[in-house]
Amino acid sequence: MSGLLPLMKRDLKKWYRNPVFLLTGLIQPFFWIALFGSAMDITRLAGPGFNTGIILQGAANYITFIVGGVLTITALFTGMFTGTNIIFDRRLGPMGRFLSSPIARSSIVFSKIFSSVIRILIQAGILVLAAAIIPNGLVFPGGFGLVDVLVILTAIILIALIFSSLFSVIAIRMREMNTIFGIVNLINLPLLFVSYAMFPKDFMASWLSNIAAYNPVSWSAESIRMVIINGSLTASQWSSLGLWLGALALLAGLMIVITYIMAEKEIRD
Amino acid sequence: MEPIIKVENLTKIYKGGVRAVDSISFEINEGEVYGLLGPNGAGKTTTINMLTTRLSPTSGNAMISGHDIIRHSLDIRKMIGVVPQDLTADEDLSGMENLLMVASFYDIPRSIAIERSKRLLEMVDLLEASMRQVRQYSGGMRKRLELIIGLINEPRVLFLDEPTLGLDVQTRTTMWDYIKDLRKNYGMTIILTSHYLEEIDALADRVSIVDHGKILITGTPTELKASLKGDIISFGFRSASDSQAVLEYPKGLDVISSADGMVKVRVENADESLPELMSFLFQRGIKLHTLSVQKPSLDEVFLQYTGRSLREEGPADRMKVMMNMRRVRRT
Repeated sequence: MSGLLPLMKRDLKKWYRNPVFLLTGLIQPFFWIALFGSAMDITRLAGPGFNTGIILQGAANYITFIVGGVLTITALFTGMFTGTNIIFDRRLGPMGRFLSSPIARSSIVFSKIFSSVIRILIQAGILVLAAAIIPNGLVFPGGFGLVDVLVILTAIILIALIFSSLFSVIAIRMREMNTIFGIVNLINLPLLFVSYAMFPKDFMASWLSNIAAYNPVSWSAESIRMVIINGSLTASQWSSLGLWLGALALLAGLMIVITYIMAEKEIRD
Repeated sequence: MEPIIKVENLTKIYKGGVRAVDSISFEINEGEVYGLLGPNGAGKTTTINMLTTRLSPTSGNAMISGHDIIRHSLDIRKMIGVVPQDLTADEDLSGMENLLMVASFYDIPRSIAIERSKRLLEMVDLLEASMRQVRQYSGGMRKRLELIIGLINEPRVLFLDEPTLGLDVQTRTTMWDYIKDLRKNYGMTIILTSHYLEEIDALADRVSIVDHGKILITGTPTELKASLKGDIISFGFRSASDSQAVLEYPKGLDVISSADGMVKVRVENADESLPELMSFLFQRGIKLHTLSVQKPSLDEVFLQYTGRSLREEGPADRMKVMMNMRRVRRT
């Protein structure tokens, strides 16, 4: 795949050179944390004196609780743009050049997916920083160690791969920008709200919670939350963490295979 | 000599049963400039897209320098250069960055790529603008950039799909000069599509006239023009009786029309016949009011083989050309 690196370089260049992309991508995480984290703070509903730790699964405050969810959602939203970028390349012409160059067809799509993962990681770094800086923000009760970093990185990379590939596959044969925006709008709300990203499971209607348990957004949000909230994990916590990350890895692997096959066979002008 | 390109019964049927390219076959020799001439929708671009492996054929095959377009598509893409009809450069990158990106698709080492890009940019007079974003380029500059992007891998075979579509006359002539130079300096084999007759006439060694996905005739522009059997001479006389005199020419004339003192005749070669005709008329004391000689152009050839003029395009086609022009001219 000799086209992979030059194409990733191109994508990232376009991103960091465009001040609007850069600023919105970087400011948005702040908004999520500061605005959503304050506006939707469910511990206020409980009233003073109530042990909020029970609602928040042991988190010190709501911001600490939702960081895992916001990181996951950032990956979801940025991943959605991977598909629109493919359509832009098709409509503005560069796709024709890529298709007549001696590069693997899949490298056209994977360059978009991988550069999107890199963008998401940069945003995630800023987000964690933002959450830690603001008053009454992110707290690591057990300290911030290598395990935390590894688990957070793994979860974000996997969820970013899953959604970037999903929206790339949708865009592989698509010409209409409106169609993909429609699809994005249709699925981002259920993915976001039928998950444990923003609200604790005990807070949800049981039918909703049952569905949310199978949402990859929940797997990623819960994995990150678990290592942030808990200093050292118990055996049962390790096993749920393993289950979530394993499921994410399996899904990411499956999406990559589907993307590869679709890109090699189906991509066109 | 073995032809460098051999196309055999190449066919593309789009969804809905439209036969865009209908079992066409042709051969192109190394170093030749070969033109595909036809109106919009004739199947020229589809043919080019199949030969450049952007599109897979429904049936049939083609060989480029011994590689098969279906099984060895990657080998072919390494060897050919493509200048597609649409603009393909990334508007957010500079001209130089576009060239270097495409160069890296061919695994050309960076130092060689930089040196080659500079030479190509200089060739088409873009060196000064090479660090500017492509979105700031004019339509002519963008077409020139497209041309050299297609040359970055020093291809043996170059595909030019409507290289001057939407350009003004002056810019078009400059493009022609670049294409002529390429052929002269590098001996490149060039396949050119166009719906401009002048373009094919100026550049191509051989031309195929394409319509409705089929090749109607192939030959050198001169051969095709000669196949029309001659030139047309139009005489304008002062009176209708004078015009009778020319009809009495002893060698006989192929008269196309004769009315109101205007007589149009077809001769094999006006350069030879005209002096004889003139002296014949002169001896009879007949004076001419007007005289014109029309050498056949590819226009007439096209009319002859397709039954319609290339310039009479339907409103839909004209609309498409306008849209393309606007895209090209957009700055």
